Amino acid sequence: MSRIEFDWPDEGAERVRAAEGRLRLAGEELARRPFEARLASVAAVLDDWTRPDSPYRRELAAALAEATPFTAATIKEGLDSALRAWRPADFIACAEREIGGTTRAGRCSLVPFEWTTVIAGGALPMPTMLSGLLPLVLGSPVLLRETSKDPVTARLLARSIARRDETLAAAFEPIAFPSDDTMALEAALAAPCVVATGSDETLASISSRLSPTQRFVGYGHRFSIAILGPTMDDDALMEAAAGLALDVSRWDQSGCLSPVVAYLVGWEREAQRHFASRLDDALRRVSADLPRGEIELDRSISIAHERREARMRAAMGGMLFEGSDHTVVLETDARPRPAPLGRFIRLLPVESPAALIRSLEPFAGHLSNVCFAGLREVDERGEIEDAPREDAALPPRETPAAASPIPPREAPSAESPIPPAWARLGVSRFTSPGRLQTPPIDWPHDGLPLFVPLARFTNEDLGRHTTKVD
Amino acid sequence: MSALEAEVDRSAREGVERELLAWMSEAKPSADAERFERLALALFRFQFTACAPYARLCASLDRTPDRVEQVSDIPAVPTGAFKEFDLRCFPEDQTTQVFRTSGTSVDRLGALHLDSVVLYEASLLANLRHSFLPGLVGTRPEMRFLSPGPAEAPDSSLTHMFEALRLAEGHPSSDYDLREGRLDLHAFEAAVERARRADRPLIVAGTSFAFVHFLDDPQAAGETRWHLPAGSRVMETGGFKGRSRTVPREVLRSEIAARFGLDERAVVNQYGMTELGSQFYDSTLVDPDGPRRKEAPPWTRVRFVDPESGRDVAPGEVGMIVIHDLANTGSVAAIQTADLGRAIRSEDGGVIGFDVLGREEGAEARGCSIATDVMLEASSREPAP
Repeated sequence: MSRIEFDWPDEGAERVRAAEGRLRLAGEELARRPFEARLASVAAVLDDWTRPDSPYRRELAAALAEATPFTAATIKEGLDSALRAWRPADFIACAEREIGGTTRAGRCSLVPFEWTTVIAGGALPMPTMLSGLLPLVLGSPVLLRETSKDPVTARLLARSIARRDETLAAAFEPIAFPSDDTMALEAALAAPCVVATGSDETLASISSRLSPTQRFVGYGHRFSIAILGPTMDDDALMEAAAGLALDVSRWDQSGCLSPVVAYLVGWEREAQRHFASRLDDALRRVSADLPRGEIELDRSISIAHERREARMRAAMGGMLFEGSDHTVVLETDARPRPAPLGRFIRLLPVESPAALIRSLEPFAGHLSNVCFAGLREVDERGEIEDAPREDAALPPRETPAAASPIPPREAPSAESPIPPAWARLGVSRFTSPGRLQTPPIDWPHDGLPLFVPLARFTNEDLGRHTTKVD
Repeated sequence: MSALEAEVDRSAREGVERELLAWMSEAKPSADAERFERLALALFRFQFTACAPYARLCASLDRTPDRVEQVSDIPAVPTGAFKEFDLRCFPEDQTTQVFRTSGTSVDRLGALHLDSVVLYEASLLANLRHSFLPGLVGTRPEMRFLSPGPAEAPDSSLTHMFEALRLAEGHPSSDYDLREGRLDLHAFEAAVERARRADRPLIVAGTSFAFVHFLDDPQAAGETRWHLPAGSRVMETGGFKGRSRTVPREVLRSEIAARFGLDERAVVNQYGMTELGSQFYDSTLVDPDGPRRKEAPPWTRVRFVDPESGRDVAPGEVGMIVIHDLANTGSVAAIQTADLGRAIRSEDGGVIGFDVLGREEGAEARGCSIATDVMLEASSREPAP
């Protein structure tokens, strides 16, 4: 007997619409729960993932090793370090500050979106997890479209939610459909709130399909850098090299928080060469524990090109260090050059902080995080002032409310430690080498607060400005 | 370099050029491995002595003329190096023409410096006549170019090629229909009308993005309005570089053919780059019944290599395209491109051409394109946690 198979052209869209129906129902139940109860439930899920013995983390690491080109060791280290930095207490404090405080202090009410579609991007699991959990705290059910590069995180997250809370689980559905399934995408983009991660082109394309009445939160592609000053003794220099090597190696330099260049501000040439050599050594050491995974052919070509060009420049004062899975190029100027990734780091000398700011200006809005060492802070005029606070981030955090058994971090100053010039370049966090890829959970991604962009508020103002009608 | 050494160098290059010109002017230039090998090694010896940045690369790879015995050992220069270095084998004051790559103020433009266009034009015309004008050589058909003219784009190698073609093979009424960034549909349509009335083939050539704009322009709509007489043909080249929507190569070809009422085999793609003196065309006008592939003129050699080892991949496997173009006598002959490709084999297993993969999609991402394409390539990555 022969089997007949049909291709149902709107099968993907049908699945999305069916999920929407289920999510709308689940959303009613979710919205009836108090904000604090939802927050506690989501924080409990988060705790299941972030505690050191998390079985979910182990399972995810194993699954990602099968599904992605990263090596198992790189995945495990990347997940462990990133999730260690995610403290449920900070998550709770941030939600209280952004949402709880707003609704309790004034006349504002939180009115959850009927459902939220999250279009995940890339192969790194942390953004997918966080963007899937945030709307649930706000009472909005989530349809999470997984990425082709990571078909495991969303489903495992769904399982972990189900184990904690059935109501929450009913309000979270991962879904997969091909990128060329425009009908499914249109159906998914019917949500009143859409969150997407991707390139500028992807975000523009999604945004153009939405109506002005829909909420859209887009997280674009950015890159991170290191800024190193000359005021380091040898121990500090070795520490900076080790930290930078770890930042470069984590997730094989494929995240927006991976540094692609390190600016050496005000260094003597010999010191530059010394540091380049130390960084090469450090990358070799990291590679012994965290070998690079397979890279795509076009990435290999980019690396081969950049290595060969660097070799041509080397005779004029530059340096090239080629490892089996990393590259360090010490340039003689700070001219922008391609960043092929795959553990490829350029060291760019600049004379002064002012020159540094100037060289970064072409990339305004595209910078993400900055790690720094051996340098006091540079202000927007390029002058040196006090060093920025480590893990300083915009906007300023206030003292968090105590809402978790885990003590929150020390509250930073209410005054922003990041000078406006850097914020204008897009920088949303300063930290130290080795910590670029492990931001706290309440770090303002792309300069946005965590919860507020996904929230809908209403205000009751009855009876205060009445007009007398005769 | 002493005056005597310079003279020896110059005569070595002139000897290679004389033989190349003779090769290019043959009625049917054919592949000749021994000839290619000999000329390539002679040219390498010359370029090593005459181009300091290239010599530095060769020395750092320990591949100097005394150690190189075959063409595949000659070091190739990455295309990006044309942005960083003046890769020329003659004194700067002898420069007569500079072709520049496209780009923006953020990016330094790549440049091919020439002290003569004789060999450059001989190569491009020989190849155009063979691959694009079979059956039309000497008939002087009208040509329309969807690109800016020489006055508007004096440093464009593509425009220079079109102008050389127009002067050598085009009817005097041939002209450019892209002016100040706008398509002159009126002039273009008038040419189509003329060709139809005379029932003479019309040659249309232009950049891929110009064709996309033409296809998308509501004022250019019409089912049969642009249909061309028999024997007409179209050449499109280049990527989209953010100047139009990106269209898969096969789709663009199909849409162009439909708009002009042509068989798809009359629409050919040209693979070329500013850094090269020779170009590569689809085979469909020369071999209409064979598989569509790029053909390499005999004075070029195209290899596909593993980017990590630098060794040739097995025939048919995908690799980085490395081109050895003997027409590049005044710069560097061995060029490492940023493109992926693979050899195409005939049924009996012989290599008959090659295919370029993902040029449209990849070109921009590889940083040879617009705007902040330099470090920003890094920003097209994974989202932050």
